[in-house]
Amino acid sequence: MKANEQPVAEQASAEDRPQPQPRNTFECRNLSVELRSSGGLACICRSIDFEVREGEFVSIMGRSGSGKTTLLRILGGLLSPTPGSTVRYYSEQVDGPPRGVITVFQNYAASLLPWRTVEKNVALGLEGKVSKDEKAERVAEALAMVSLSKRAKDYPWRLSGGMQQRVQLARALAMRPSVLLLDEPFGALDAMTKTTLQDELLHVYEQTGATVVFVTHDVDEALYLSDRVLILQGDPSTIGESVAVQCSRPRDQIETKQSEGFLTLRRKVYEAIMQGHD
Amino acid sequence: MTAATAADPDRAHQPGGSDQAKSTKRTTSAPRLRGLLPLVVLLSVWELVGSPGSPFFPPPSTWGSALIGLWENGALLAAVLATLTTFCIGLGTATVVGAVLGLVVGGSPGADRAMSPTFEFARAMPPAAMVPIATLLLGYDETMKVTVVTLAAIWAILLNTRAGVRRIDQTLLDAARSLQLGTVERIRKVIVPALLPAVFLGVRVAAPIAVVITLLVEILTHVEGVGALIAQSQRTFQPARVYALILVAGALSLLVNGVLGMVESHVFRYLPGKADGSE
Ligand SMILES: Nc1ncnc2c1ncn2[C@@H]1O[C@H](COP(=O)(O)OP(=O)(O)OP(=O)(O)O)[C@@H](O)[C@H]1O
Ligand SMILES: [Mg+2]
Repeated sequence: MKANEQPVAEQASAEDRPQPQPRNTFECRNLSVELRSSGGLACICRSIDFEVREGEFVSIMGRSGSGKTTLLRILGGLLSPTPGSTVRYYSEQVDGPPRGVITVFQNYAASLLPWRTVEKNVALGLEGKVSKDEKAERVAEALAMVSLSKRAKDYPWRLSGGMQQRVQLARALAMRPSVLLLDEPFGALDAMTKTTLQDELLHVYEQTGATVVFVTHDVDEALYLSDRVLILQGDPSTIGESVAVQCSRPRDQIETKQSEGFLTLRRKVYEAIMQGHD
Repeated sequence: MTAATAADPDRAHQPGGSDQAKSTKRTTSAPRLRGLLPLVVLLSVWELVGSPGSPFFPPPSTWGSALIGLWENGALLAAVLATLTTFCIGLGTATVVGAVLGLVVGGSPGADRAMSPTFEFARAMPPAAMVPIATLLLGYDETMKVTVVTLAAIWAILLNTRAGVRRIDQTLLDAARSLQLGTVERIRKVIVPALLPAVFLGVRVAAPIAVVITLLVEILTHVEGVGALIAQSQRTFQPARVYALILVAGALSLLVNGVLGMVESHVFRYLPGKADGSE
């Protein structure tokens, strides 16, 4: 009896987390990136090694221009690293955007289609892939998550910057992704909306068990959301520090942020970022 | 009118964002009529000073009767239809071919390098110089007219499309790829709609050129159309008819511009600045 139930029980716990030895969603080895600049090829990152475990929430921090967006584009399969680098999504070498990995871009205005209404923008990735009814349902659900149901019929340029960013977020959520790559998604938002959306994101994360890679400039945000914070340092940049955040989940905007552990980590991350400055 | 600035591909912009587009749009009918004032004054003076028998400057009042004569024997309608047909087919072909070539050239630096010198050469050729070659190769017919008009009109569209392709933000293409859109879907749902304003701007610039070249070819080759009728009236010493037909040609040009303006404000009403703000 017990023996029969074993596999079922195991599967159930695999959908939760934490497991003793979760698989790696992303694995980067000896990752270097060179991009064309005015003075020839510029090396942006050199020999970066890191992995993102399945179901993990990882934030990437570092000063402006340190290559956070570049790194995210590589994970999203939108940019190829220099030959000799290894980037794997599960066991596959990344070569084009892997299915189920959705990127939310820093430049939200440029990522929305101005000739489509908000709801049609959100539906973009679902068209022809799910039935009409399911599409409508998922779009409505995603818009409700970011509190934009009322603006479904508007064109994006009629919305504020923060609202446009939320449309982009809804477009990603409607895809029910297994991995979300978020590039400063809350950078344009006021503190109130930001906290609401942080909690909404954590809720989605805990519900779906998705893996999240999150780029931000906000130390509190990174610590509040993440299991681990990676800090890019140097030029060309490498991962200077990897800070594990052991605060228990579910987290709370006030309690978590005032806990002793949080404050210690906060200092540690600040110091790591400052170190990158000189 | 604004062709000179808009034809410059590097400064070409989306109709929605353009200042000119906005100002033409806000022009109400009153100022537009006021713009005709110099013409009205000129014609009035002409009417007072000119004598009905003049071989060069017959007064405007004689133009009307000349026009009525042409209308009654059916020549005018046939000529206008022939001219409009050539214009529409020529501009239509130029739009399709120019947009496709602009897409190819704008999207691939290799194709751009391979084809740009040829384009520059062909573009520098005055359309009037192409007429003798076209008549030699194609004869005196509709195909020849359309070919010359297409070749004259294609550049504005091609160059605007090329500039439009280069202006598409990489983020937009990345977003489409990240959402798992295939190549065909990306072209259909992202690239083509993103390019439409640029293509349309090219059409706005090309349309007056196409009108002028249609008339020019007709005048030079006497193949049926308003231009041929002008040339014929001039050869048979009927100056009143010539002036009347020039007015008709001007009216056709205004009509074309008006229709394109309406299409533009309808098709691109989703763009910022195009919409009226009340939906
Ligand atoms: N398309 C590109 N072509 C060439 N170089 C680029 C390109 N995009 C970015 N770079 C360069 O790569 C470096 C890292 O850029 P990136 O956008 O990844 O920084 P970032 O960490 O995201 O900065 P920010 O915090 O300001 O968003 C910069 O020096 C930038 O100039
Ligand atoms: Mg960035």
